[in-house]
Amino acid sequence: MVFSSVLFLFRFLPVFFICYYVAPGRMKNFILLLGSLFFYAWGEPVYVLLMLFSTLSDYVHGRLIEKYRGGGRAKLFLVSSVLINLLVLCFFKYADFLIQTVNVLFGTSIPPLNLPLPIGISFYTFQTMSYTIDVYRGEAEVQRNLLDFGVFVTMFPQLIAGPIVKYRDVEERLHNRSVDICTVSCGMKRFCVGLAKKVLIANNIGELWSEISGMNLGEISALTAWLGILAFAFQIYFDFSGYSDMAIGLGKMMGFYFPENFNYPYISASVTEFWRRWHISLGSWFREYVYIPLGGNRKGLPRQLVNIFIVWMLTGIWHGAGWNFLLWGLWFAFFLSLEKLFLGKILSGLPRAAGILYNSLLVLVGWVLFALETPEQIWGYLKAMAGAGGVLDSQGLYLGRQYIVLFALAAVAATPLFTRLVKQLEHSGTGLGIGVYRLGEKVIPVILLILAVAGIVDASYNPFLYFRF
Amino acid sequence: MGEKINAFITVMLLSVFILIFTAADVTEEDKVFSETENRLLASRPEFSVESLVRGSFTQDYETYVTDQFVSRDKWISIKTRMDVLLQKQEIGGVYLGRDGYLLEQHLPESYPQATIEKRLELLERLVEDWNADVMLVPTADNILTDKLPGNAPYFQQRVFLEEAEKRVGREHYVDAFSALKEHSREEIYYRTDHHWTSLGAYYGYLAWADFTGERSYPYDTDAMVLASTDFLGTLHSKINLEWESDSIYYFGETAEMPVTVTYDLQKTAHSLYEESYLNTKNKYGFFLDDNHALVEINTGNQTGKTLFIIKDSYANCFVPLLLPHYDTVYMLDLRYYNGRLYQLLEQYATEADILVLYNCIHFLEDFVYA
Repeated sequence: MVFSSVLFLFRFLPVFFICYYVAPGRMKNFILLLGSLFFYAWGEPVYVLLMLFSTLSDYVHGRLIEKYRGGGRAKLFLVSSVLINLLVLCFFKYADFLIQTVNVLFGTSIPPLNLPLPIGISFYTFQTMSYTIDVYRGEAEVQRNLLDFGVFVTMFPQLIAGPIVKYRDVEERLHNRSVDICTVSCGMKRFCVGLAKKVLIANNIGELWSEISGMNLGEISALTAWLGILAFAFQIYFDFSGYSDMAIGLGKMMGFYFPENFNYPYISASVTEFWRRWHISLGSWFREYVYIPLGGNRKGLPRQLVNIFIVWMLTGIWHGAGWNFLLWGLWFAFFLSLEKLFLGKILSGLPRAAGILYNSLLVLVGWVLFALETPEQIWGYLKAMAGAGGVLDSQGLYLGRQYIVLFALAAVAATPLFTRLVKQLEHSGTGLGIGVYRLGEKVIPVILLILAVAGIVDASYNPFLYFRF
Repeated sequence: MGEKINAFITVMLLSVFILIFTAADVTEEDKVFSETENRLLASRPEFSVESLVRGSFTQDYETYVTDQFVSRDKWISIKTRMDVLLQKQEIGGVYLGRDGYLLEQHLPESYPQATIEKRLELLERLVEDWNADVMLVPTADNILTDKLPGNAPYFQQRVFLEEAEKRVGREHYVDAFSALKEHSREEIYYRTDHHWTSLGAYYGYLAWADFTGERSYPYDTDAMVLASTDFLGTLHSKINLEWESDSIYYFGETAEMPVTVTYDLQKTAHSLYEESYLNTKNKYGFFLDDNHALVEINTGNQTGKTLFIIKDSYANCFVPLLLPHYDTVYMLDLRYYNGRLYQLLEQYATEADILVLYNCIHFLEDFVYA
């Protein structure tokens, strides 16, 4: 089930939250688990069993690590837990990719498995790995209550599109949380904003990308190509950060505080900054469980650069089993390294606008690698952007004219401008400012919700972008 | 304290909104058909373990809930208004053109050479087998090009028509394109509907008369009769915004001719026009009772001539103008006829003039000959 659907908003959401709020304290987790399993099973009636297996496996491993703490066996159980998670992930996500690669390299013809990818598998396996690793490191308490642990793994708000919640982020709140009306209100507002980002901006501008990427790439003008990749850049940002907002909002409505996942990435003035602002929960996961254990930046520059390449190759491949995703990761690793070596110093001496331009250019080219799969498509698209099919044509002018308002809106919404304005009003101290804020915080979420529902009901284009994650 | 009251109001507003629409949606009865979208709506899928495991049950159920959502039409019109606010000039395949013109969008890539080739081959065979004449009418986007949004893409029917003329031969080809293009500043297409108007059909008729060498009947374009002033056609249905309505006119002379019209060999009428349609949404159905597989019109004119016309709905306001030239006119709409065209022609048309009349788009989408 996805959040941006009639079924979620007008069936699941009301029924679930009525049950949840009515249920007495200890029952709430039970309701949350049931709701989450239903939510997941609705889209994955078979793979829900895989998720339960994963849950049980890490629960047992956590207890075993605790039991044999200090001995060699604890380490054994940690390795076994991580291995099982990675095996499950590799089998369902990367098996066909590996098979195809082997076939190409060695001329074999092993038949692919053609297994559909279980939705959200990359998110929940990363979450459960964080648990066993943290228990082993002594950074998290072992969870003896299977129900509470089940809630951690299966919790529907962040189950299918993040943020990746580490166990210790929610540890305390799993068995001891309360909500007050202010948090619920905050959560609801956040949800509406996220829904609007997804339905009103991402879906609408995504239509332009889907139209342009379907064209004969040899014939499109530079204008059309740039419009297309810009549209994709906005689509993936507003879709992904919209999902995170909705997840964070739903979490708040139950008293959970999930980590922030996006912080206006497109205003970054370097690639280094971009990756601190983009998909933060994934970045911090890799930092904590891969980059730092590999030595991070403490073992000299050459080793640090190697670590960067490892982490960003993994980051790339995490987004999908395909060579283009690997390439996408390497693309960033290359510029991150340059910035570590010398480029960072140069950039910090330039005006911020120059840095933003530099980063935007690299990110946009990155999205070409990300969004298109075959080398021919990628190369064809890059050539079109460089003007191989002409610079301007009537098609580009027409499409630009159709989407110009949406582009402007998206561009402003991708900066902290609105948030700053809201903060200013809230803390203005003048009667008028606060009055406007009070009115706005009530009316705007309702309007966004109404408009989003209209977009969902019309539903000409409402894709789920994370089926490969 | 104030903080809490504010939060409470926000929570109530949003919860009540969700709850009211949930309740309204659950209690509302299912609809079978959406008039505005002109399509069947999804119905409740049957549950089976097999469809659940396959995943099709939940998917169908989502489509069903979305299709049947309470006040669906209103939601869609909100979305349309949003698109207008975003300054979009094309909504749901309809261009919002200048001067209140809605023009159906036909993208060049929707009509690849292979499609054109296939239809033209069939047409060529028909013309060879039956000595038929061909009149393919361009759609509004190709004639009213100055009404299109700037740089809007459209399928160039002139190129296609030149090819068609070459294939069937000049002696079988009625040039409607030039005739309409000459009058592109007049009211020859409806603003809210995909059809040509009676005036457009009249210019088509003049082109036909010119082609056949027949002397054209002196219809008076200044004395056309007004049938309706509040026509909102098929293109308007697709966008469903407040829009200025069209007027439907027809040539009064055609209503005065004594005729017997037989629809599908069953129902007969003594008029070419069915007033009852003027009270419905489908007001273009006024012309020759909307769509039928086979229509036979007898005029009692003593010309000794019969016309067999293979056509789409563009012919419905055009055929009345041809009647002075024939004793009997047969109209065949292939979309509603299940038999073989060849057999039907053998039965009705061995002695008749044969005319193929379509707009270019319907021709490329629907024409068959077997």
